[in-house]
Amino acid sequence: MGFIMDGLDGEAYDRKYGDGVLVKRIINYFRPQTKRMLAVSAAIVLTSLVNTGLPIFISDGLDRLQVDDSTRTLIILTVGIIVLGILGWVFNAIRQWLSASAIGNVTLQLREDAFDAVLKRDLSFYDTYPSGKIVSRVTSDTQAFSQVVALATDLMSQILLVVLLIGYLFSVNVQLTLMTLLLTPFIVATALGFRKIARQTVTNSRRVNAIVSSHIQETISGISIAKAFRQEQAIYDQFLDVNAQSYRVNLRTNYTFSSIFPILNLMAGVGTAALVYFGGLQAQAGTLTAGQWYLFIQGLALFWFPLTSIASFWSQFQLGLAAGERVFALIDAEPKVVQIDQLDVPQLKGDIQFEHVDFSYNENEPVLKDFSLHFAPGETLALVGHTGSGKSSIGKLIARFYEFQGGEILIDGRDIRTLDLGQYRAQLGVVTQSPFLFDGTIMENIRYGKPDASDDEVRLVAEMVGQGDWIRALPNGLDTPVGERGGSLSMGQRQLVSLARVLLQNPSIFILDEATASIDPLTETLIQEGLDIVLENRTSIVIAHRLSTIKNADRIIVLREGEIIEEGNHTTLLAQGGHYAELYNTYFRHQSLDYIENAGRIPVLSE
Amino acid sequence: MAVQRSEFTVPNPYPYNRSSAVRWIFSHIWRYKFFFLATCGLYMTAWFSFSYARVLIGNAAQEIMHPTGSDGLARIGLSVLFILCLDSLAALGGSLAVGTISQRLERDSREELYISLLGKSQTFHDRQRVGDIMARSTDDMNQLNGMINPGVLFIAETVLGLSVPLLWIASIKVDLLLVPLIFIATYVVSVRAYSRRLNPVVTNQREAFGIMNAGLEETISGIEVVKASAQEAFEREKFRKNARNYRNYFAQQGQVEAGYLPMLLYAFALGFGFLHCMVLYQQGQLTIPNIIAVMGLLAALRFPIFVSIFSFSLVQLGIASAKRILNIINAESELDENASGYAQPMRGDIVFENVSFGYEDGMVLENISFHIKPGETIAIVGQTGSGKSTLTQLMNRTYNTTSGRILVDGVDVRDWSLTALRSQISKIEQDVFLFSRSLAENIAFGAPDTPQEQIEKAAREAQAHNFIMSFVNGYETEVGERGVTLSGGQRQRIALARAFLSNPRVLILDDSTSAIDSATEDEIQQAIRRAQQGRTTFLITHRLSQIRWADHILLLEGGKLIAAGTHDDLLRTSDQYRRIFARYDVALPLVEVEAPSV
Repeated sequence: MGFIMDGLDGEAYDRKYGDGVLVKRIINYFRPQTKRMLAVSAAIVLTSLVNTGLPIFISDGLDRLQVDDSTRTLIILTVGIIVLGILGWVFNAIRQWLSASAIGNVTLQLREDAFDAVLKRDLSFYDTYPSGKIVSRVTSDTQAFSQVVALATDLMSQILLVVLLIGYLFSVNVQLTLMTLLLTPFIVATALGFRKIARQTVTNSRRVNAIVSSHIQETISGISIAKAFRQEQAIYDQFLDVNAQSYRVNLRTNYTFSSIFPILNLMAGVGTAALVYFGGLQAQAGTLTAGQWYLFIQGLALFWFPLTSIASFWSQFQLGLAAGERVFALIDAEPKVVQIDQLDVPQLKGDIQFEHVDFSYNENEPVLKDFSLHFAPGETLALVGHTGSGKSSIGKLIARFYEFQGGEILIDGRDIRTLDLGQYRAQLGVVTQSPFLFDGTIMENIRYGKPDASDDEVRLVAEMVGQGDWIRALPNGLDTPVGERGGSLSMGQRQLVSLARVLLQNPSIFILDEATASIDPLTETLIQEGLDIVLENRTSIVIAHRLSTIKNADRIIVLREGEIIEEGNHTTLLAQGGHYAELYNTYFRHQSLDYIENAGRIPVLSE
Repeated sequence: MAVQRSEFTVPNPYPYNRSSAVRWIFSHIWRYKFFFLATCGLYMTAWFSFSYARVLIGNAAQEIMHPTGSDGLARIGLSVLFILCLDSLAALGGSLAVGTISQRLERDSREELYISLLGKSQTFHDRQRVGDIMARSTDDMNQLNGMINPGVLFIAETVLGLSVPLLWIASIKVDLLLVPLIFIATYVVSVRAYSRRLNPVVTNQREAFGIMNAGLEETISGIEVVKASAQEAFEREKFRKNARNYRNYFAQQGQVEAGYLPMLLYAFALGFGFLHCMVLYQQGQLTIPNIIAVMGLLAALRFPIFVSIFSFSLVQLGIASAKRILNIINAESELDENASGYAQPMRGDIVFENVSFGYEDGMVLENISFHIKPGETIAIVGQTGSGKSTLTQLMNRTYNTTSGRILVDGVDVRDWSLTALRSQISKIEQDVFLFSRSLAENIAFGAPDTPQEQIEKAAREAQAHNFIMSFVNGYETEVGERGVTLSGGQRQRIALARAFLSNPRVLILDDSTSAIDSATEDEIQQAIRRAQQGRTTFLITHRLSQIRWADHILLLEGGKLIAAGTHDDLLRTSDQYRRIFARYDVALPLVEVEAPSV
């Protein structure tokens, strides 16, 4: 039932397409299917013709039988019915067969285009739109849109059937046909009115079902606490209320849906009775044959169903078009990161130069203004600052995840915008705050950045990180599955995997956004040891959250509101007593040995 | 059947038959016999009326061709009106009755499941995933509802819709049953063949869609890695393969559906049915009005044929759901409360004697022994999966040991009354769960009448007072969906406040929250140190400052206790432990060669 659809939320990149544009796009997608669609249309027309012809043939046969009941007539009539039946079935089969593959192909094409468009977006797009919504545009909206065509063909055949039948009935008897049509507005009005009520009750049902779900969810999640404090009875009483409310609301919805067809049926019943009587009078008067009278009664049943469904077709059709509009908007959204050239990238030394760079995520809040900084090849640089100081943005700009608005970024002296992005990024190693792993084994995840690496190569780099202790702690070593999004590994283990991944890639430039999540001290030690190896011999940019990393950096850059305000090493900066000292006291003091050694001596507050 | 052990019961529950899924469903339906019988009666009335109307139309034809009087046609017209109204009203009543049954079934079985969930032991809940139980109490409940309405209803309509018109045909002339009966026989065979062909395609299609969706979701979630590793081409190929695979199943389904044979058979039935009528007409055994009635009845067979495709799969799905729900309800909870067991105030002296724990597929803990005196603080250190959490769960008998024993105050935990044991050992989980109610109610959960001053005192001790007061509504602030979202550190301190109120003798704190700033760290340190006062405290912690100052440190690796002792002991004896501190500029003592005394 198409009108039971989820709320359709809009996105900033959505746009309205004119009907003409929309139709043009749709036709373009169907162009490769022209032959199939022509055959489908022909099959629709033929199916409708046959389906209209069958009851006419039977009623005509009834009249013919009264004047001529020779065996020949019998055979003609029987063969006629069967042939019409077979033809109807065959035409319908052709239609279904061909439209399924045409729709399948169009959906596939749309999906591929939508996915390609998604891949081209830069990270600002992914920051803005939740992954679930992007996924539903690529998979569900494309599906809903393509269904429009299935709906349209269905609708066409239904309308055609009704039109053909009514046309024929008019030729038989105008008066009776008009009387039959008298029912139409009532049926349509009832169907439309019902839709309005149904929408409301369905909304209520969905709401109450959500309440039931969240109640049960909370009970199950908090069951240990409920048990520890013996609160089962109280929770059960609440459940009874919620469950009773759900029953009442859902019963109403159920009643609404159950009554529509009997009510429409009732109207059809009144119509049938009227036709029996008034048609019968005409037949008695001789203006109508018995067969024709029977045709009218059968005809009512034939177009009663299409009429009730046409009403709901329209809204489904609109929903499908809206889905199409959303898919096209996704395909047409402009990527913000634009390369002006695609020059080959040779082995990089890792010299990075920011020159008067201006950068903001959105127009109103500049992150970097006239920012200049030089990273020497092989240097380890720690960026520190409060949230919003711009420290993470620097790493993301080097990775070319976002577009900057002014100035230049030079990699080995060449404009970053002129590089072939694929080749450039192949020489970058990036470890994010919460490292992402793909469903698969640890081996597969380490290999991700360098798909042609041998098992031995992978094993070698894995051993280099934390002396390989972490692999031995896993049940199946490198073949241990990491689970969806790496869920079966701890955060620390995921970091170790991503460090190994970077090591295998052997990048010229390494960007690390240090995790703030807490990690058990044993794993933490392994990570630190792994980092020592990764940071060696390559330009490294660390968005630092760990005191030990900062202490080991060649240079610390202290940022505030997108500006470099201090620069130096840990000891000298701390001695200066400036912004770095303040940052130290806010973020790093509790990571110091001094803090650890003195924690036991702090007096405990007593009330 | 045996009475189930349960931690929660309601007075006088309705006795459902839980011996099999079908019996269970039927015992639910039978609870509302009146509605059930009403449904049957009303639908029978509806189908008899509907079919009888076809006969009346035949009579009208008779009246048209051979009028009996001026009001003959009017009488029949009125009868048709009456009968068709009766048909619609009976169908309306029937569908309301069956709707009532299906909704009550959903309500009752959900309640039944809920009561049984409340009655299950913690062990049971620890092993079930929340998502799985959610699926059973929502999706499976819906499926159950759908099985009755419209599943069973469709089956009833199929049976009635095929048999009642045939009865009327027989009443006109028994011989005429020949064609419809042959048709029904061939129809049954072809429908079975059809669903055997369609089902695997539909299943495959659904799976392919799931794979495509999951793959896409993964790519988008990991887009930073994809881009940073320049693996767009690989991901594109992966998606295309999945999308194409789905397309193939989609087209295949269309092809199977296109070949739906019963509709073709129906065309033959109509043709030969008509032929049979005509032959009898030729022989003078049947009149034209008779033929009109029979053809009307044959046309009535179309609807039941159409709905029967859906009904069987709906019922199958419903029974499968019922099985899943029953599995939960019938699951034995291996609880023994040991209500008459040892129940004294706890001092907090804990001894592990050669404790091992595991499942068939491997040991989680092996041969663990240690002794903790009342009031000591123990830090448990180890990597994820080393068995830290399990070790603490054995203490309050969330699980029983596989071998060895655990003594609390010198008494084996299995000899303790479960209530006495658990109420004095409190565990604060890593992921603290808060109910969607006010902060005050969350702190005083289990003791709703606690005065406000006591709640605030506990919150102060837990260093939670200040951040609570920073909310506009203070202690009345709602937590959860409609309220505030608390950080891990804040949730932990709410749980600590809860613990200060309930005052357990042994506190287990799974503390893996991280403080990003030193001020918060100070507060958490204070709260934990306060909690340690006067009770035995187990800390599963990442904080070196806590580990360093614990009375005992237990170092676990792969389920084995590889080192135990104080900070100074371990610096001397454990290589692993030394490595942790090697990064700090600390003067490490010389390594001792002799094995640690565990």
